[in-house]
Amino acid sequence: MLLSSILVQEFAQEPAAEAHRGFNAGETIIEHVSNSGHDHPLIHLPSAFGIDFSVTKHVFMLWLVAAIVFIIVTWYVRRYLRQDRLIPSGFMNGLEAVVEFVRDTVVQPNVGHKWVNTWAPLILTFFTFILCSNAIGLIPLFDTLALLDRFLFHTSPDSFLNRVIHGGTTATANFNVTAALATITFVSIIVAGSKAHGFVKHWKNIAPHGLNPLIYVILIPIEVIGMFVRPFALTMRLAANMTGGHIAILAILSFVFLFTEMFGRAIAGIGVGMVVSVPLAVGISALELIVVLVQAYVFTLLSAVFIGMAIHVHH
Amino acid sequence: MQFLHYFGAALGLGMIVIGAGLGIGKFAAAAAEGIARQPGAADRITGAVNLPLFLLEGVAILAEVFVLLIVLLK
Repeated sequence: MLLSSILVQEFAQEPAAEAHRGFNAGETIIEHVSNSGHDHPLIHLPSAFGIDFSVTKHVFMLWLVAAIVFIIVTWYVRRYLRQDRLIPSGFMNGLEAVVEFVRDTVVQPNVGHKWVNTWAPLILTFFTFILCSNAIGLIPLFDTLALLDRFLFHTSPDSFLNRVIHGGTTATANFNVTAALATITFVSIIVAGSKAHGFVKHWKNIAPHGLNPLIYVILIPIEVIGMFVRPFALTMRLAANMTGGHIAILAILSFVFLFTEMFGRAIAGIGVGMVVSVPLAVGISALELIVVLVQAYVFTLLSAVFIGMAIHVHH
Repeated sequence: MQFLHYFGAALGLGMIVIGAGLGIGKFAAAAAEGIARQPGAADRITGAVNLPLFLLEGVAILAEVFVLLIVLLK
């Protein structure tokens, strides 16, 4: 208790000390991870029906990723369809490997033979889109732009370039984006069940038949809660994983500035950066490469599993 | 007393790590043992372990999000 009271006193003095400090790690990290604010979006649009339609950075990234995926995939699929031989060449091989992997190891075992061609396109779209928007967050494209802007271009704070460098790059690190993706899964679970069993039968399938009526009093609420928890867990998993890695990297890199300020000289920060921060950040970035792939895989796998559970009811 | 929620968040993070570590460790141990006994069934064992592993990870991540909310919302 004594220790905690001392610590509390220490903490209480901290904001006063922070006021004249130049570097606030928490604020910097949050600014680099979160979406650009409503007060300075990329493109100002009027609000309609009480919704602000202004284009923020994550919306911009969503469009960018969607455009990249659409152009690359349609370009190569068109080229494959136009060529007269069946063997794909070049990048088409990579695309084919992804499609076959998702169809044969993710969709097929969960959804079953009969419904593969119905649900593979949706799951594949999820996979390519999530993988692309996860991976684009690892490329320090906008941070490089910020460096150039700071030292070369010197644009005004109102310019498009200056607004585009504020906020995080990973669209899937935004809970709203992943919530929208999980909503698609939620709706497609219902659609899958309705297509396989009929609309009324799908809702009857929520709980097993022929049990004691008293059990249903407990069972039906649990199953209904479970219905909503699944997309909620999908939302949180993807967004938190994508945010967490970036926060870890930024926190480790901010040691450089914290130590510089603590000792009052740049050499301390540079030393800590060279010995601790940069090697650790490289390690976490390598881990992030795996996380990017795994999270895209997990989202698609769980979507396929939930759709399969609606089709093959195991009660 | 206004900074006590940091203690709660830190304790919570530690307990999340303990729980998730124990769970994932048990999964990995069981899977490795199963594959060592029956190398032929490696694919099926990995497939069976994958899904509950991700569900477990999801629970841990959810807990971490709530810890973050404790810190951010106070």
